Amino acid sequence: MIDIAIIGGGPAGQAAAQQTLAAGLSTTMIDEQARPGGQILRQPPATFAVKGWMNGRLYRPLRRLLAQTEADTRLDWRGETSVAGIERIDTHFRLTLSGAHGGTLLARRVLIAAGCYDMPVAMPGWPLPGVMSAGAVQTLLKSQQVVAGQPIVLLGSHPLLLVLATQLLDAGADIAAVLMPQTYGQIARAALPYLAGAIFSPGPLIAAGAAMARLRRAGVPMMMGARPLGFTGDGRLEAVDYTWRGQTHRIAAQAAAVSYGFLPQSDLPRQIGAAVRWARPAGGWETVCDGAMRSSIPGLYVAGETTGVAGADAAMAEGEIAGITMARDAGAAAGSGIARAQARRARMQPFIDLLRAVADPGDVWPQATPETLLCRCEDISVAQVEATMARLSPMADASAVKHRCRIGMGLCQGRSCEHALVRRIAAARGCDPDAVAPFRVRFPARPLPVDEIID
Amino acid sequence: MTHEVLIIGGGLLGCAAAWHLARAGLTPRLIEARGINAGASGQNAGSLHFQIERRFLEPGGTGHAQGGDIVRLNRLAIEEWAGLEDQLGRPLDIHMHGGLMLAENEADLALLSLKVARENELGLPTQLLSGAEARDLVPRLASHICGAAWLAKEGHANPRILADAFADAARASGATIETQSRLLDLRRVGDDWQATIEQSGQITTASARHVILASGHWTARIAACMGLNIPLYLAPLMMSVTDRTAPFLPYLIQHVGKRLSMKQTDDGNMVIGGGWASAPQRMVDGLPDLDAPPHLVPDNLRANLTVAAGVLPCLRARSLIRSWTGMTCISADQLPIVGEVPAAPGLYVAAGGSMFTLGPLLARMLARSIIERAMPDEIALFSAARFAHLNAFVVQP
Ligand SMILES: Cc1cc2nc3c(=O)[nH]c(=O)nc-3n(C[C@H](O)[C@H](O)[C@H](O)COP(=O)(O)OP(=O)(O)OC[C@H]3O[C@@H](n4cnc5c(N)ncnc54)[C@H](O)[C@@H]3O)c2cc1C
Ligand SMILES: Cc1cc2nc3c(=O)[nH]c(=O)nc-3n(C[C@H](O)[C@H](O)[C@H](O)COP(=O)(O)OP(=O)(O)OC[C@H]3O[C@@H](n4cnc5c(N)ncnc54)[C@H](O)[C@@H]3O)c2cc1C
Repeated sequence: MIDIAIIGGGPAGQAAAQQTLAAGLSTTMIDEQARPGGQILRQPPATFAVKGWMNGRLYRPLRRLLAQTEADTRLDWRGETSVAGIERIDTHFRLTLSGAHGGTLLARRVLIAAGCYDMPVAMPGWPLPGVMSAGAVQTLLKSQQVVAGQPIVLLGSHPLLLVLATQLLDAGADIAAVLMPQTYGQIARAALPYLAGAIFSPGPLIAAGAAMARLRRAGVPMMMGARPLGFTGDGRLEAVDYTWRGQTHRIAAQAAAVSYGFLPQSDLPRQIGAAVRWARPAGGWETVCDGAMRSSIPGLYVAGETTGVAGADAAMAEGEIAGITMARDAGAAAGSGIARAQARRARMQPFIDLLRAVADPGDVWPQATPETLLCRCEDISVAQVEATMARLSPMADASAVKHRCRIGMGLCQGRSCEHALVRRIAAARGCDPDAVAPFRVRFPARPLPVDEIID
Repeated sequence: MTHEVLIIGGGLLGCAAAWHLARAGLTPRLIEARGINAGASGQNAGSLHFQIERRFLEPGGTGHAQGGDIVRLNRLAIEEWAGLEDQLGRPLDIHMHGGLMLAENEADLALLSLKVARENELGLPTQLLSGAEARDLVPRLASHICGAAWLAKEGHANPRILADAFADAARASGATIETQSRLLDLRRVGDDWQATIEQSGQITTASARHVILASGHWTARIAACMGLNIPLYLAPLMMSVTDRTAPFLPYLIQHVGKRLSMKQTDDGNMVIGGGWASAPQRMVDGLPDLDAPPHLVPDNLRANLTVAAGVLPCLRARSLIRSWTGMTCISADQLPIVGEVPAAPGLYVAAGGSMFTLGPLLARMLARSIIERAMPDEIALFSAARFAHLNAFVVQP
């Protein structure tokens, strides 16, 4: 049995590992990726030599942490391995692993630092090949040095699109347009209440401004207040339709990158029964924790985007706090920096709030039509879901709808559609999404080859 | 106002009973604590198994006589299922293309031939097939399968939609169905039953001539609160489902010597179960929490899938996409308990057995016993009266 299992090798997991290793605790880090880094530093394969990879100033602390993690021989790193199951047995945990290091792992304490994923947004034509999440486009770029397709349209309410646009420019991509549904005025109004506090995190604000200027200089068409209508094409994406300044437009594209926000990974916390709550504003479920990153389950800790989407610096700070707490709770010689890390994390909050307010898709959701698929695994349309809901009592929960029309019953088990279904139920009931019981999350968190289970 | 019949529980049993009663003009009222089909009726394997079940054949078991009684009931159930889509007037994904109970070795085969002989005596047309004949039906069966019992009317149905169909039909015939309505208390007042009900935070009362506890694995606890002993015991189970694959298995697969049920759904997924246990969550006093989903027992998942892939090796190439757990109950003698409770006139129960396979039939019989004021002969064996002695010393509150 090991002392500490860390699920996720992003900034949060790495920062925690530094603390638990320094405290002399045996630490295993599990990640689906081949190399540590997480979402923000999604590394190229070890055989790639990429000049100037992720060289920006804001990435430097993250790269330093990554270099330390990769050089630390005490860390038991298990890449290309998914955690499919987590259970509590007496006072310890059993993880079921799948992939390169399949099998089970017993640990006295577990940190879930599993990050977040792009929120899938159902709109007409979204299953067409070529329509991708911004994260997918970015991952191809960061780790494979591949541009997903050109010309490419970037669309959605999340400012990540600006970062992605500059990265695409660096790669020489042909960007057809950036379509954001908010107007500058709306963005300014959303940001205003948080601006004073956010000056403690000037870096990202300056970076955002610089990105805008850079896009303008490069002549990238930036359409603010543009509402995407959908994607068209014969068998694959050919064009993006949108309205702008009262008129409907069509723009040719081979690829589209969509970003309306991110959903915390919540399958493992929910599988083991940790308390979660609806994440605002984008939705999904963030795991509830105390200021020391303890979840509602003794011995289970959470950090980074699993606790709510807040960016890489916050993930690092939370990881450090979680690492120190785990060392303390284990009775080991814990680091002394917890108060400092907590203060650092607190100072970031105004900027996080600002970003959330600016990115809020609340008033600018793209419209799905009745034929639009809500569940892409089982091909369940908006109309089918609505007909099912209409037959049920308004108090019916997400599982009741799922049982009757198969939404969320496929390979992804609702990771893609559950948030949208819960939002619809809440809207129909006129209640908060937090009041709607979501799907019951079960083993396994990822499709698990039968072969791996029985051998 | 006094209801003629109040039904507690909106699973398969309660909804089907409501329909039969409503059709007879009894305008029943059904209350369901959560949503329709939220209990075992929506979580089960959906097997329509009419051969004598493995549990009645367990070596040294006492289930031998019961096996015979069940066969008589199963023959009626076959007819019930065959007419259901017509009666309810909608597709229910009922597939009665046949079922195979497999033998993997000589001992299995011996048990299987005994079973087939017995079933045939009782009028159930099972046939003993050789391993080769079984593989003619399902070419992907493992090569060591040495025999199978074939029953042409076995199969499977979709548990996710059946109770709804009964509930809709019941409503259309005049039944009242209320969800998010929990029975809190039930007691005798004069000739009637008085129920205390919680509906979205409001407490109301209702009185009824007849009450049906169609409350699944909650039935025994509700009865206990009324001072009645109904010998029903918790059976927490688990199920697994794989990703989709092209249709290749139109039949129900069971195993004579091991716990296994397996089928391919209309959507192509493989659904695997067979009576493997899950672990109920416990309350502070150590008693099982009847409302919480049981925990998966990983060793049982592994064992279940090992048995399944043992007879159908192609499963090894599939992926498990979900497992789930649910609770049902078995009775002290493994046979369903159906009908009026002698110590509590006007109170009816229906639980403790394979109540998916038998549910539509037993719900109809139960309704008949209220409509006709007499237990139909066909189910006399399953009457609650056989446990009347357990209530000889109790005083109802
Ligand atoms: C597309 C995208 C772009 C982003 N861009 C930015 C940005 O520009 N700036 C910024 O500050 N933030 C950005 N973020 C947020 C970013 O994820 C974080 O800020 C940071 O990486 C969070 O760190 P983390 O440690 O919480 O999670 P992550 O870095 O996401 O690390 C989590 C790790 O857990 C692994 N994992 C998850 N589930 C399992 C499992 N079941 N089994 C095994 N391993 C698992 C994943 O493979 C991943 O490597 C972005 C997020 C996304 C999705
Ligand atoms: C995993 C699993 C696999 C199974 N496989 C099979 C199979 O293949 N074949 C087969 O024949 N059988 C199978 N069964 C058994 C079968 O599912 C049940 O016997 C059957 O569904 C019972 O139906 P029911 O309507 O009596 O109970 P349920 O479906 O459990 O319904 C009872 C209802 O009563 C409600 N209720 C409880 N207390 C109250 C209260 N106080 N007030 C109001 N409402 C209340 C509950 O909310 C519930 O909805 C399986 C069961 C499980 C769990």
